[in-house]
Amino acid sequence: MKRCITLIILSGVAVVLAAGPVDAQGPIKIGFFAPLTGFAAADGASAKHSAEIAVDEINGAGGIKGRKVELVVYDDRHDSKEAVAVANKLIEKDQVVGVVSGSYSMPSRVTAPIFAKAGVPMTVAYAVHPDVTKAGPCIFRNGFLGQVEGAAGAESAVKIQKAKRIAVLTVDNDFGRVASAAFIERAKKLGAEIHSEQVYKLGEKEFGPYLTKIKDEPLDLIYHTSYYNEGSQIARKARELGIKAALEGTEGIDSPKFLELAGPAAEGVTFTTNLNRDDPRPEVQNFLKRYQAKAGTGADMVGASAYDAVRILARGIEAGGTEAKAICGALTNLKDYNGITGKITRFVKGEVTKPVQIQIVKDGKVRSFAVIDNPEVITPPAQ
Amino acid sequence: MLVQQLVNGLTVGSLYALMALGLTMVYGVLRVLHIAHAAVFTLGAYGGLWTFAATGSFWLALLGAMAIAVAAGLAMERWVYWPLLAKPPIATLIASIGVFIALEEIYRIVAGPEPHSFSVPLRVRDVRLAGVLVTAPQVLVMAVTVALLVALWLFLTRTSLGLALRAVSQDREMAAACAMNVRRIVRLNFALGSALAGAAGMLVGVYYNSVSPTMGDVTAYKGLAIIVLGGLGSIPGTVLGALLIGIVETLFIGLVEFPFPRDAWAFLAMIAVFLLRPQGLLGR
Repeated sequence: MKRCITLIILSGVAVVLAAGPVDAQGPIKIGFFAPLTGFAAADGASAKHSAEIAVDEINGAGGIKGRKVELVVYDDRHDSKEAVAVANKLIEKDQVVGVVSGSYSMPSRVTAPIFAKAGVPMTVAYAVHPDVTKAGPCIFRNGFLGQVEGAAGAESAVKIQKAKRIAVLTVDNDFGRVASAAFIERAKKLGAEIHSEQVYKLGEKEFGPYLTKIKDEPLDLIYHTSYYNEGSQIARKARELGIKAALEGTEGIDSPKFLELAGPAAEGVTFTTNLNRDDPRPEVQNFLKRYQAKAGTGADMVGASAYDAVRILARGIEAGGTEAKAICGALTNLKDYNGITGKITRFVKGEVTKPVQIQIVKDGKVRSFAVIDNPEVITPPAQ
Repeated sequence: MLVQQLVNGLTVGSLYALMALGLTMVYGVLRVLHIAHAAVFTLGAYGGLWTFAATGSFWLALLGAMAIAVAAGLAMERWVYWPLLAKPPIATLIASIGVFIALEEIYRIVAGPEPHSFSVPLRVRDVRLAGVLVTAPQVLVMAVTVALLVALWLFLTRTSLGLALRAVSQDREMAAACAMNVRRIVRLNFALGSALAGAAGMLVGVYYNSVSPTMGDVTAYKGLAIIVLGGLGSIPGTVLGALLIGIVETLFIGLVEFPFPRDAWAFLAMIAVFLLRPQGLLGR
């Protein structure tokens, strides 16, 4: 019995000795998860490369208050069970100071309440679902809500591209449903006629049936919520069938893979996103160059957003220290943050208000087409 | 528009037919469900992609796709199916699923998780008949499918080897009793089925300009629905089932305003067949 008590005391001392100094001098651990395998793997890779670029830059400049930053990376496989396991690992095993979601809505949405409960601050790169930031007061989203993107798409389609008759193709998930609904509402308000809305399953490859249906209609524009796999098939099939209507997509197709898979059919396609490749600010151009050098392909929205999400969290740690509450406070009071995906005036209930970029594919390159900064459109809906 | 949608459905159906034929042929001779067939299909797409990158010729790439698929099919027969043949069918089925998953992971590690484009300059042109448009890629898919199916049909009905193959699939033990080399016929069967799957993989890759490690997923389960619908082991039944499913799912998407996923149709058809005609459309 006596030996047992001694042992307990000794081990307690050992824990204190082990935890004390390491915590103060070791690297600051930031958790990161993204879909590194599975259908979304290209996005996962882009997010990871970019997060690593951000960490390298921070460490290259001396770290945060002299302490290096260590990125703890996990693959969520775009699987909710896996994401929950990853969240628990980051909290219990790695004991990260904060976490960055470089993933889609679904993994972000299931993990946000777990991080919120554990009191771990979280920044979200590009996941669009409204529930993500509602899980707690210390979750900050760098990207747009689906509603904002859809409405901005309508501004571009109706006001700038002067489309009067529009057909909509909606991917059947949270993002697609929300963005398409917002697009339709705004486009109707601006006076355009919505010819039809067709909903398709995520992962659909064969758009012949959908596009044949609207092939002979006098359409000015087809708006599609999609990811690069589906978006490239839509563009290819539309051109194959001789459809002349303009095509407008969302940030889901903001990827070099879209250009590769759609080939010549990508030409002239516009999409809403937060990354403007023609942004003259040096931090943007530097990031684009570094990404190209690291990954061998052009940067995309996912990567740029992950970069911003890591740097925003780092800014919070720098201003507040490694205590969760202090980081939270620092990020809540963040003012005029100069992100590469747009300037953040401040976070309101975890959401940002920043201009939506409309990019266009021109001569096989992604260029700036327009910027939507109408506050009525880009202010996140209050709920 | 109905005819236009039929063209869409026939194109998809031809691809399904090529994918599912190997499945039904293997079932015919071994009475096992060859799930890993879908991995052979994917390998064909990669094989075609690599051969095309090396040679720049569509036809050589098609041959390359079929050759690598045949090699993979024969290897599976040699090291997985034949050794497990005496075991209960569930062992073969589980092994087959295991091989499928393992191969998909290997493709991901070797070729990367992201889709690759497979862009081939097509020499064919759009065909317009009485207001119906058959696009160049559709012409290509249907022409290659018809050519391969005719070749298969000629082989099965006009050659002694084809006759032997049909004999083995009707009754393996009887054929063995008649001094036929059953093992050789089984191998031939795997080779033919795999060649068709390889061609299908490459055609799907070209048709959608996309080759990815998981492209066989749909094949893996939809192929089963198709061969059940057609009648397990029946070659004409499989072709009919594939075309039917291609057309039905296309027409439903094209004509009905109801977001019911296309893959569900194949399974509804399968369930209906189980209930109404358990031996399948053309099953024995």
